[in-house]
Amino acid sequence: MPVQSVWMIRLSLSYLLVAILTGAVLLVHKAVPIHNAIWGLLPVHYEMAIWGWLVQFVMGTAYWMFPRYLKDKGRGSTVLAWSVVAIMNLGLWLLLASYVTDEYLAIAGRGFLLIGTLLFAGLMWNRVVSYRNRR
Amino acid sequence: MPPVTRWFIKTGIIWFALGVTLALVAELPNVQGSALLLPVYWHMLVIGWITQVIMGVSIWMFPRKKRNRKKESSSLATGAYFLLNGGLIIRFLSEPFLPLVTNSDIVPVVVIVSGILQVAAIMLFIAEIWPRVQPKKKLKRKSGRA
Repeated sequence: MPVQSVWMIRLSLSYLLVAILTGAVLLVHKAVPIHNAIWGLLPVHYEMAIWGWLVQFVMGTAYWMFPRYLKDKGRGSTVLAWSVVAIMNLGLWLLLASYVTDEYLAIAGRGFLLIGTLLFAGLMWNRVVSYRNRR
Repeated sequence: MPPVTRWFIKTGIIWFALGVTLALVAELPNVQGSALLLPVYWHMLVIGWITQVIMGVSIWMFPRKKRNRKKESSSLATGAYFLLNGGLIIRFLSEPFLPLVTNSDIVPVVVIVSGILQVAAIMLFIAEIWPRVQPKKKLKRKSGRA
Protein backbone atom coordinates (compact mmCIF):
# COMPACT_ATOMS: atom_id res chain seq x y z
CA MET A 1 0.00 0.00 0.00
CA PRO A 2 1.50 3.40 -0.97
CA VAL A 3 2.29 5.71 1.92
CA GLN A 4 -0.18 8.35 0.61
CA SER A 5 -2.99 5.77 0.88
CA VAL A 6 -1.83 4.82 4.37
CA TRP A 7 -2.18 8.47 5.39
CA MET A 8 -5.56 8.94 3.71
CA ILE A 9 -7.04 5.72 5.12
CA ARG A 10 -5.69 6.24 8.65
CA LEU A 11 -6.89 9.86 8.66
CA SER A 12 -10.31 8.67 7.43
CA LEU A 13 -10.50 6.09 10.24
CA SER A 14 -9.65 8.84 12.75
CA TYR A 15 -12.40 11.06 11.30
CA LEU A 16 -14.81 8.11 11.48
CA LEU A 17 -14.07 7.76 15.19
CA VAL A 18 -14.63 11.49 15.82
CA ALA A 19 -17.81 11.48 13.68
CA ILE A 20 -19.29 8.51 15.54
CA LEU A 21 -18.35 9.99 18.94
CA THR A 22 -19.94 13.37 18.13
CA GLY A 23 -22.96 11.47 16.77
CA ALA A 24 -23.21 9.56 20.05
CA VAL A 25 -23.05 12.81 22.06
CA LEU A 26 -25.82 14.26 19.87
CA LEU A 27 -27.91 11.11 20.34
CA VAL A 28 -27.48 11.24 24.12
CA HIS A 29 -28.43 14.94 24.07
CA LYS A 30 -31.52 14.08 22.04
CA ALA A 31 -32.51 11.44 24.60
CA VAL A 32 -31.58 13.41 27.71
CA PRO A 33 -31.16 17.14 26.91
CA ILE A 34 -27.85 18.39 28.30
CA HIS A 35 -27.14 21.81 26.74
CA ASN A 36 -28.40 23.50 23.57
CA ALA A 37 -24.84 24.26 22.46
CA ILE A 38 -24.38 20.52 21.78
CA TRP A 39 -26.37 20.95 18.55
CA GLY A 40 -23.31 22.89 17.35
CA LEU A 41 -21.63 19.50 16.93
CA LEU A 42 -24.06 18.52 14.17
CA PRO A 43 -22.01 19.99 11.26
CA VAL A 44 -18.82 18.44 12.71
CA HIS A 45 -20.66 15.10 12.78
CA TYR A 46 -21.84 15.10 9.17
CA GLU A 47 -18.97 16.95 7.47
CA MET A 48 -16.45 14.59 9.11
CA ALA A 49 -18.57 11.56 8.21
CA ILE A 50 -18.87 12.59 4.53
CA TRP A 51 -15.58 14.38 3.70
CA GLY A 52 -13.32 12.98 6.39
CA TRP A 53 -14.46 9.36 6.46
CA LEU A 54 -16.28 8.32 3.28
CA VAL A 55 -14.64 10.49 0.61
CA GLN A 56 -11.11 10.22 1.95
CA PHE A 57 -11.33 6.45 2.53
CA VAL A 58 -12.53 5.90 -1.04
CA MET A 59 -9.77 8.18 -2.42
CA GLY A 60 -7.06 6.39 -0.44
CA THR A 61 -8.27 2.95 -1.47
CA ALA A 62 -8.69 3.91 -5.13
CA TYR A 63 -5.16 5.38 -5.30
CA TRP A 64 -3.86 2.09 -3.89
CA MET A 65 -5.97 -0.45 -5.81
CA PHE A 66 -6.67 0.95 -9.28
CA PRO A 67 -4.53 -0.49 -12.12
CA ARG A 68 -1.01 0.94 -12.18
CA TYR A 69 0.65 2.38 -15.28
CA LEU A 70 2.19 -0.35 -17.43
CA LYS A 71 5.26 1.73 -18.31
CA ASP A 72 6.77 2.29 -14.87
CA LYS A 73 4.40 0.26 -12.63
CA GLY A 74 3.72 3.52 -10.81
CA ARG A 75 0.55 5.18 -9.54
CA GLY A 76 1.18 8.61 -11.06
CA SER A 77 2.69 11.71 -9.50
CA THR A 78 3.41 11.26 -5.79
CA VAL A 79 3.59 15.06 -5.44
CA LEU A 80 0.03 15.27 -6.78
CA ALA A 81 -1.09 12.48 -4.43
CA TRP A 82 0.41 14.29 -1.41
CA SER A 83 -1.25 17.51 -2.61
CA VAL A 84 -4.64 15.76 -2.63
CA VAL A 85 -4.08 14.56 0.98
CA ALA A 86 -3.04 18.03 2.16
CA ILE A 87 -5.68 20.02 0.27
CA MET A 88 -8.62 17.75 1.14
CA ASN A 89 -7.74 17.87 4.84
CA LEU A 90 -7.08 21.61 4.81
CA GLY A 91 -10.46 22.10 3.11
CA LEU A 92 -12.23 19.99 5.73
CA TRP A 93 -10.60 21.85 8.63
CA LEU A 94 -11.43 25.27 7.14
CA LEU A 95 -15.01 24.11 6.64
CA LEU A 96 -15.24 22.94 10.26
CA ALA A 97 -13.65 26.19 11.48
CA SER A 98 -16.27 28.19 9.56
CA TYR A 99 -19.01 26.88 11.87
CA VAL A 100 -17.37 28.46 14.92
CA THR A 101 -15.55 31.47 13.48
CA ASP A 102 -15.95 33.32 10.18
CA GLU A 103 -18.58 31.90 7.82
CA TYR A 104 -16.47 33.10 4.85
CA LEU A 105 -14.03 30.31 5.77
CA ALA A 106 -16.71 27.95 4.42
CA ILE A 107 -16.09 29.34 0.92
CA ALA A 108 -12.34 28.71 1.30
CA GLY A 109 -13.02 25.25 2.76
CA ARG A 110 -15.41 24.23 -0.03
CA GLY A 111 -12.98 25.74 -2.55
CA PHE A 112 -10.11 23.60 -1.27
CA LEU A 113 -12.36 20.52 -1.31
CA LEU A 114 -13.21 21.27 -4.94
CA ILE A 115 -9.51 21.74 -5.86
CA GLY A 116 -8.64 18.48 -4.04
CA THR A 117 -11.42 16.65 -5.88
CA LEU A 118 -10.27 17.96 -9.27
CA LEU A 119 -6.63 17.05 -8.53
CA PHE A 120 -7.77 13.56 -7.50
CA ALA A 121 -9.74 13.24 -10.74
CA GLY A 122 -6.63 14.25 -12.69
CA LEU A 123 -4.51 11.81 -10.73
CA MET A 124 -6.84 8.86 -11.28
CA TRP A 125 -8.31 9.53 -14.74
CA ASN A 126 -5.81 7.50 -16.77
CA ARG A 127 -5.81 4.66 -14.24
CA VAL A 128 -9.50 3.95 -14.88
CA VAL A 129 -8.57 1.40 -17.52
CA SER A 130 -8.52 -2.31 -18.30
CA TYR A 131 -5.29 -3.85 -19.60
CA ARG A 132 -7.03 -7.04 -20.74
CA ASN A 133 -7.40 -7.75 -24.47
CA ARG A 134 -5.15 -4.83 -25.38
CA ARG A 135 -3.86 -4.90 -28.91
CA MET B 1 -14.47 -13.72 0.99
CA PRO B 2 -14.69 -14.35 4.77
CA PRO B 3 -18.17 -15.08 6.17
CA VAL B 4 -18.29 -11.82 8.14
CA THR B 5 -17.77 -9.86 4.90
CA ARG B 6 -20.78 -11.59 3.38
CA TRP B 7 -22.82 -10.70 6.47
CA PHE B 8 -21.70 -7.05 6.29
CA ILE B 9 -22.51 -6.72 2.58
CA LYS B 10 -25.84 -8.55 2.66
CA THR B 11 -27.01 -6.69 5.76
CA GLY B 12 -25.85 -3.45 4.10
CA ILE B 13 -28.03 -4.21 1.08
CA ILE B 14 -31.01 -4.84 3.38
CA TRP B 15 -30.48 -1.47 5.15
CA PHE B 16 -30.18 0.20 1.73
CA ALA B 17 -33.52 -1.25 0.62
CA LEU B 18 -35.16 -0.31 3.93
CA GLY B 19 -33.73 3.24 3.72
CA VAL B 20 -35.10 3.78 0.23
CA THR B 21 -38.46 2.31 1.30
CA LEU B 22 -38.56 4.67 4.27
CA ALA B 23 -37.82 7.64 2.01
CA LEU B 24 -40.73 6.59 -0.19
CA VAL B 25 -43.08 6.19 2.79
CA ALA B 26 -42.09 9.61 4.14
CA GLU B 27 -43.07 11.20 0.80
CA LEU B 28 -46.56 9.66 0.74
CA PRO B 29 -49.44 12.10 1.32
CA ASN B 30 -51.09 11.95 4.75
CA VAL B 31 -48.01 10.43 6.39
CA GLN B 32 -47.45 12.33 9.60
CA GLY B 33 -44.12 12.70 11.37
CA SER B 34 -41.95 12.44 8.25
CA ALA B 35 -39.38 14.70 9.92
CA LEU B 36 -38.98 12.11 12.70
CA LEU B 37 -37.98 9.55 10.09
CA LEU B 38 -35.31 11.77 8.51
CA PRO B 39 -32.42 10.84 10.89
CA VAL B 40 -33.40 7.17 10.55
CA TYR B 41 -33.32 7.41 6.76
CA TRP B 42 -29.92 9.17 6.69
CA HIS B 43 -28.31 6.72 9.13
CA MET B 44 -29.75 3.71 7.30
CA LEU B 45 -27.98 4.91 4.15
CA VAL B 46 -24.73 6.32 5.55
CA ILE B 47 -24.03 3.82 8.37
CA GLY B 48 -26.27 0.85 7.54
CA TRP B 49 -25.43 0.80 3.82
CA ILE B 50 -22.29 2.72 2.74
CA THR B 51 -20.18 2.40 5.90
CA GLN B 52 -21.16 -1.22 6.44
CA VAL B 53 -20.24 -2.25 2.88
CA ILE B 54 -16.89 -0.41 3.22
CA MET B 55 -16.27 -2.25 6.50
CA GLY B 56 -17.04 -5.64 4.98
CA VAL B 57 -14.99 -5.13 1.84
CA SER B 58 -11.97 -3.70 3.69
CA ILE B 59 -11.97 -6.63 6.15
CA TRP B 60 -11.83 -8.88 3.09
CA MET B 61 -9.41 -6.96 0.84
CA PHE B 62 -6.93 -5.19 3.11
CA PRO B 63 -3.62 -7.04 3.57
CA ARG B 64 -3.52 -9.31 6.58
CA LYS B 65 -0.83 -9.05 9.23
CA LYS B 66 0.22 -12.64 8.55
CA ARG B 67 0.29 -13.55 4.88
CA ASN B 68 -0.26 -17.26 5.42
CA ARG B 69 -3.34 -16.67 7.58
CA LYS B 70 -6.54 -18.04 6.05
CA LYS B 71 -9.31 -15.63 5.19
CA GLU B 72 -11.31 -16.40 8.29
CA SER B 73 -13.35 -13.92 10.30
CA SER B 74 -11.58 -12.33 13.26
CA SER B 75 -13.37 -11.86 16.57
CA LEU B 76 -12.93 -8.07 16.24
CA ALA B 77 -14.71 -8.03 12.87
CA THR B 78 -17.47 -10.37 14.08
CA GLY B 79 -17.94 -8.24 17.20
CA ALA B 80 -18.10 -5.08 15.07
CA TYR B 81 -20.81 -6.65 12.89
CA PHE B 82 -23.08 -7.67 15.76
CA LEU B 83 -22.59 -4.48 17.78
CA LEU B 84 -23.16 -2.22 14.77
CA ASN B 85 -26.31 -3.94 13.57
CA GLY B 86 -27.63 -4.47 17.10
CA GLY B 87 -27.07 -0.75 17.74
CA LEU B 88 -28.73 0.27 14.48
CA ILE B 89 -31.81 -1.94 15.01
CA ILE B 90 -32.30 -0.62 18.56
CA ARG B 91 -31.73 2.94 17.38
CA PHE B 92 -34.17 2.82 14.48
CA LEU B 93 -36.87 1.27 16.69
CA SER B 94 -36.45 3.83 19.48
CA GLU B 95 -35.17 7.18 18.11
CA PRO B 96 -38.36 8.22 16.23
CA PHE B 97 -40.40 7.71 19.43
CA LEU B 98 -38.28 10.09 21.56
CA PRO B 99 -40.46 13.20 20.92
CA LEU B 100 -43.66 11.14 21.09
CA VAL B 101 -43.10 9.38 24.44
CA THR B 102 -41.90 12.27 26.58
CA ASN B 103 -42.86 10.74 29.94
CA SER B 104 -40.98 7.49 29.41
CA ASP B 105 -37.66 6.72 31.09
CA ILE B 106 -37.08 3.58 29.05
CA VAL B 107 -36.96 5.05 25.53
CA PRO B 108 -34.09 7.54 26.27
CA VAL B 109 -32.08 4.77 27.95
CA VAL B 110 -32.59 2.48 24.96
CA VAL B 111 -31.48 5.27 22.58
CA ILE B 112 -28.32 5.86 24.65
CA VAL B 113 -27.56 2.12 24.67
CA SER B 114 -27.88 2.08 20.87
CA GLY B 115 -25.32 4.91 20.65
CA ILE B 116 -22.88 3.05 22.90
CA LEU B 117 -23.22 -0.11 20.77
CA GLN B 118 -22.48 1.83 17.55
CA VAL B 119 -19.40 3.53 19.05
CA ALA B 120 -18.13 0.18 20.34
CA ALA B 121 -18.63 -1.37 16.88
CA ILE B 122 -16.60 1.36 15.15
CA MET B 123 -13.83 1.01 17.75
CA LEU B 124 -13.61 -2.74 17.10
CA PHE B 125 -13.54 -2.14 13.34
CA ILE B 126 -10.73 0.42 13.67
CA ALA B 127 -8.79 -1.97 15.94
CA GLU B 128 -9.13 -4.65 13.23
CA ILE B 129 -8.21 -2.47 10.24
CA TRP B 130 -5.63 -0.01 11.64
CA PRO B 131 -2.70 -2.50 11.84
CA ARG B 132 -3.52 -3.70 8.32
CA VAL B 133 -3.10 -0.20 6.84
CA GLN B 134 0.67 -0.12 6.40
CA PRO B 135 3.21 0.55 3.67
CA LYS B 136 4.04 -2.63 1.72
CA LYS B 137 7.67 -2.97 2.86
CA LYS B 138 6.80 -2.70 6.55
CA LEU B 139 4.03 -5.29 6.19
CA LYS B 140 6.33 -7.75 4.37
CA ARG B 141 9.01 -7.41 7.06
CA LYS B 142 6.45 -8.14 9.80
CA SER B 143 4.91 -11.12 8.03
CA GLY B 144 8.37 -12.53 7.39
CA ARG B 145 9.13 -12.46 11.08
CA ALA B 146 5.85 -14.18 12.00
